[in-house]
Amino acid sequence: MKKYLLILIIFFLILSTSLIKNSTKKIEDEIFNVKENLRNLNSELEDVFLEYIYLSSSEKLLEFQSLYFEDQLIPKDISKIKLIKLKNGQNYIEDLNIIKR
Amino acid sequence: MNLRIISDNNKNDFSLNKIKFNTSIQFNRIAFIFFIFFVIYLIYTFHLIHLGLKKSYNKQLNNFNSTSTKFQRADIIDINGNYLAKTVSSIDVGIKPEDIIDKKKLILNLKYIFPNKDFVEIEQRIEKNKFFKFERRITPDNYEKIMKLGDKSIVAEENVIRLYPQKNLFSHIIGQIDDGNKGISGLEKSLDERLKYSKDPIRLTVDKEIQFLIRSELVRYQEIFKNKGAAALLMNVNNGDIISLVSLPDFDPNLRENITDANYINKVTKGTYELGSVFKSFTYAAALNEELIKPESEFLNLPKTIYCGRFPISEYDEKIPSDLTAEKILIRSGNIGSVRIAEKIGSEKFKFFLEKIGVLGQINFDIEEIASDKNFEFDRCRLETAAFGHGITTTILQLAKGYSILSNGGFYIEPRLIKRKKNEEPKNQILNDGVSEKVVSALRKIVNTEEGTANLADVNGYEIAGKTGTAQQPIEGEYSRAKINTFASVFPSSKPEYVFIVMLDTPKKSTDYVYTLRNNKGIIKGTPFNTAGWTAVEVAAKIIEKIGPILATKSLEVEENDFERLLQ
Repeated sequence: MKKYLLILIIFFLILSTSLIKNSTKKIEDEIFNVKENLRNLNSELEDVFLEYIYLSSSEKLLEFQSLYFEDQLIPKDISKIKLIKLKNGQNYIEDLNIIKR
Repeated sequence: MNLRIISDNNKNDFSLNKIKFNTSIQFNRIAFIFFIFFVIYLIYTFHLIHLGLKKSYNKQLNNFNSTSTKFQRADIIDINGNYLAKTVSSIDVGIKPEDIIDKKKLILNLKYIFPNKDFVEIEQRIEKNKFFKFERRITPDNYEKIMKLGDKSIVAEENVIRLYPQKNLFSHIIGQIDDGNKGISGLEKSLDERLKYSKDPIRLTVDKEIQFLIRSELVRYQEIFKNKGAAALLMNVNNGDIISLVSLPDFDPNLRENITDANYINKVTKGTYELGSVFKSFTYAAALNEELIKPESEFLNLPKTIYCGRFPISEYDEKIPSDLTAEKILIRSGNIGSVRIAEKIGSEKFKFFLEKIGVLGQINFDIEEIASDKNFEFDRCRLETAAFGHGITTTILQLAKGYSILSNGGFYIEPRLIKRKKNEEPKNQILNDGVSEKVVSALRKIVNTEEGTANLADVNGYEIAGKTGTAQQPIEGEYSRAKINTFASVFPSSKPEYVFIVMLDTPKKSTDYVYTLRNNKGIIKGTPFNTAGWTAVEVAAKIIEKIGPILATKSLEVEENDFERLLQ
């Protein structure tokens, strides 16, 4: 009886070892694929972000301003900038202020 | 009989032992195999658990830079995550003529992808039968198209380049590298090793938008005052974070030029200047800190001229009264009064005070382009001239550090360009309680009272406080007509947040520039005097007007974030 039990355990271990090995191999392959995809996506994201930074740079925006919005984009005095705040379900308008007391 | 019995017994014993022995051998073998399988089983179990748990491994993979390892260099970003320096990979495509199978077909395909190329020249190069670069820095679209041709004569080579997308804007901060990926100036030099081995970008404290606005105003006023250079520094007085650092002239690091002109020196961190009356704030603060004076302490019968050896020390303005309080001496920018205050302090204590707040001595900073320690001897004459900012030199960076400590309650801070992960509150208070408030109050009166020299900076809504400094520059041991005009400001004065320094190198009077005086006092055409009050103050005020709303918005964002964090 002991022998059968031992053989059964060994058989079970062999089976589970091969199953685990097989599943880890699959996981490793999946990790590799995900890693490669992420690397490409990250690289693409960085390139797109770099392009975005260039196109939205202050220098470029001023160029676009002179081309398209010359009379629309003007510097605002701080006293003319207001904040809308929600307190107790109601909107309040406050001045934007750098001075804090 | 007895013998037989014994013999039988022995025989049985022997056979029994033999059986036992065999079983033991079999059992040990099975146990050994069992053990081996058990170990293998354990290894794979641990491996599986390990893969499941190791998140950081994936994170590292995500950050893995695809560029070649020999040119690995981390990116540098500003406080908002905008790239200031970036390593990008590019692909060059070359052709190996010996591997071409069908030349006509290849050229036809290439013409389709690159219609604007000179194919007569390319055919000649193919004829030479030597490898050549067909397209440098190919676009991803064209790369895909050309590789889809499947021609084995087409060879792709991966290269990396260091890009500075902001061009001149951060040249004095970032610096540049040589062709061997070695930093030769700025942060590229001081952080060389870290940049080479770090996978994560390095975040700075500077703000791209504010830097742009400050630089563009400095460039605009450079044309008005015809100054040969300029510098500006905006810093948080409470933690030393540098929000903007501009030094003109600057350069485009993408061009990789060898700069030898001394005018391209970093005027904020490396250039040392006699900065004139901006030093009077330190004289006043040192005396207050030593409890030698109070703001209302009177100095009577001040002469118009005194002598230090054979060198005269005079008031810049003959109208300055002979009887002044200590605070009025600072507000009216009195030279003789400042000398009298310094004499009360004494050479040793005054030098120690200037070293303590970082105005003298060598500064510890994130880039290597800093001024060396000059170790001035503080004799009586030096004490008298240093009291009003002459005969002693420092950098704009050290001046900003000094003004930050004077205005933040007297807490020691170190200027910094690299953002720390945690915002540490300054803890080391090096000035006595109340000194800071008294100094800032006097600086505010320089801006918002008629007697002050910086009325042009009284911009509504910012409570600017500050001190002007007009200093003649020594050339070959003699004071020349060339001036360094400086305005050191702190705002808002009720609760100082920022120190802002503007320095103009050798400005000239403008005949055409129209000044709009503050508080509806009319306009003036042309620069009346070539002093800081009419040059550097005007520039600083115009800049603060432009950047103020952005700074206010950003501090608001910080407050709201803090509030949300508290709620969590």
